[in-house]
Amino acid sequence: MDALRRLKKILTGEQEPEKEKKSEEAAEQPKSETETIEPEAIEVEEEKPEPEAIEVEEEKPEAETVKEEKPAETEKPEAEVAKEPETEEPEKTEEVEEPKEEPKTKRSDSMTLLEGREAETITRKDIDENFKQEVMDAGAESLALCFQCGTCTGACPSGRRTPYRVRQVVRKSVMGLKEEVISDDSLWMCSTCYECQERCPRGIKIVDIVKIARNYASQAGYMAKAHKMTGSFVIKTGHGVPINAATMELRKRVGLGELPPTTHQFPEALQEVQAIFKKTGFDSLIGYNWETETIE
Amino acid sequence: MAFAYFLGCIMNNRYPGIEKASRVMMEKLGIELQDMEGASCCPAPGVFGSFDRTSHAAIAARNITIAEDMGADVMTECNGCFGSLFETNHMLKEDEEMKAKINDVLSEAGREFKGEINVRHFAEILYNDVGLDKLSEAVTKPLNLNVAVHYGCHFLKPSAEIEIDNALKPTILDELVEATGAKSVPYRDKLMCCGAGGGLRSRDIDVTLDYTKEKLDNMTDAGVDAIVNVCPFCHLQFDVGQTEVNKKHGTDYSIPVFHLAQLYGLAMGLSADDLTVDAHQICVDSALEKCAEIEEMDQITGGE
Repeated sequence: MDALRRLKKILTGEQEPEKEKKSEEAAEQPKSETETIEPEAIEVEEEKPEPEAIEVEEEKPEAETVKEEKPAETEKPEAEVAKEPETEEPEKTEEVEEPKEEPKTKRSDSMTLLEGREAETITRKDIDENFKQEVMDAGAESLALCFQCGTCTGACPSGRRTPYRVRQVVRKSVMGLKEEVISDDSLWMCSTCYECQERCPRGIKIVDIVKIARNYASQAGYMAKAHKMTGSFVIKTGHGVPINAATMELRKRVGLGELPPTTHQFPEALQEVQAIFKKTGFDSLIGYNWETETIE
Repeated sequence: MAFAYFLGCIMNNRYPGIEKASRVMMEKLGIELQDMEGASCCPAPGVFGSFDRTSHAAIAARNITIAEDMGADVMTECNGCFGSLFETNHMLKEDEEMKAKINDVLSEAGREFKGEINVRHFAEILYNDVGLDKLSEAVTKPLNLNVAVHYGCHFLKPSAEIEIDNALKPTILDELVEATGAKSVPYRDKLMCCGAGGGLRSRDIDVTLDYTKEKLDNMTDAGVDAIVNVCPFCHLQFDVGQTEVNKKHGTDYSIPVFHLAQLYGLAMGLSADDLTVDAHQICVDSALEKCAEIEEMDQITGGE
């Protein structure tokens, strides 16, 4: 992005396509009108961290209002259908009315433009003082060395195609914004390819930071079902990708044992693996049910 | 020379031709592969490393103790397994506190990590212990293939710990591939990830396929006959993933995929049957036919 060119455009009042889009949004959501000016202005001077953080949060209230509106819309036809056979009309319509009014009042509140801005500012309450230290103690001592050059994000193949920004993960971890780091779905877009770490001028163990952050995310329950399934396969068979009938046939054909000489062939070895999982608590972390051998 | 042969999951449980080729090839090269009886998943670094590093290290350490009991270094042919086992072995050798913690867990299974062995990757053993000269001599059917070499991620990185080759400008696999007579063709963003790792494939297949498609585009632009990898998970991603990319994007990629062990199997005269290439989703016949052309020429010219 050419900062100078952008600055010139802003000074001369020339609108950028990006800005136009934003003012369109602003028409829908009058609340964000003044705010769009702010991040733009900041972006000129100091490109990324701040405006992005603001942008992310900016979206939140929008999403909320949409969510609140939806149930009202979907409930309505149901209530109408229910009208005919049943006589509970007044109760149902009341239920429908209530959530419908809520977003309205919220919207008119936000007309004051300044209200709710406190919620978008990062304050002490968003900071988990221990998080940075926890990440460092868990093995990523190099975390604090980051000076936010952005080489990591520039090298990141996931950053090229998803909202994942590894530099932000590092910065937010240093700041102790634990909840923001671990609740962000894009944390799981890292393929652990180490391109960021190889290029980091400070030699920071970035992939370790990502993995440790994911450990905290997992403890907080942010785990994908498919991942838990892989975990359950290892608990159950010792393999993340267990043998199947077709491969057994192939193995036999080429003169390998039908089952490989792994936990597949040695049940006592599988018991060792299971004892380890019980000891570390991995089974309860993923909600493994030993009786049904499935994820709860 | 003998190694504790760590199988892992995808090779032995999906592409047994890689295992078969490795066993035959290593025997020909005079390297003994000893089975690690009762070994498990490495465990999968994407899921286990992300969910709980202690569980990950404990299961990996258990696998390492099996090799310690055998008194042999581990050989693995999977970048993921190599990453899991190497990282854990390295960490527990350096970090006494973590070692004590993991040994406390391992005592549940009656095991103890001692830190007596090394974890080695198949390709690095070929390069450093066998050597290109001996490998070239073992080739009986030189391959006239143009190959897209795919390094994968956890073979060389993190390079500060692994120290096999320059991770940003490596040559080790290209040299190994060219010892078979094949040609390693340069292509754009050659060192890029296949997209499967880090748990991404099961978390968000669309993102994974976007990676894979970019690699396939670049390989296609370079005009290659085959993809060669050193990781069964990358292997699966290029094989199964290629069909998934075709389905999603309406493309018709059909680049045959070989693990380095299968490539050497071919060059050492193993049949396609033994390499179980029929288990591949992407047909490899085009590559096999191209290799057969050179044989026909040899018969006509007497090899001159």
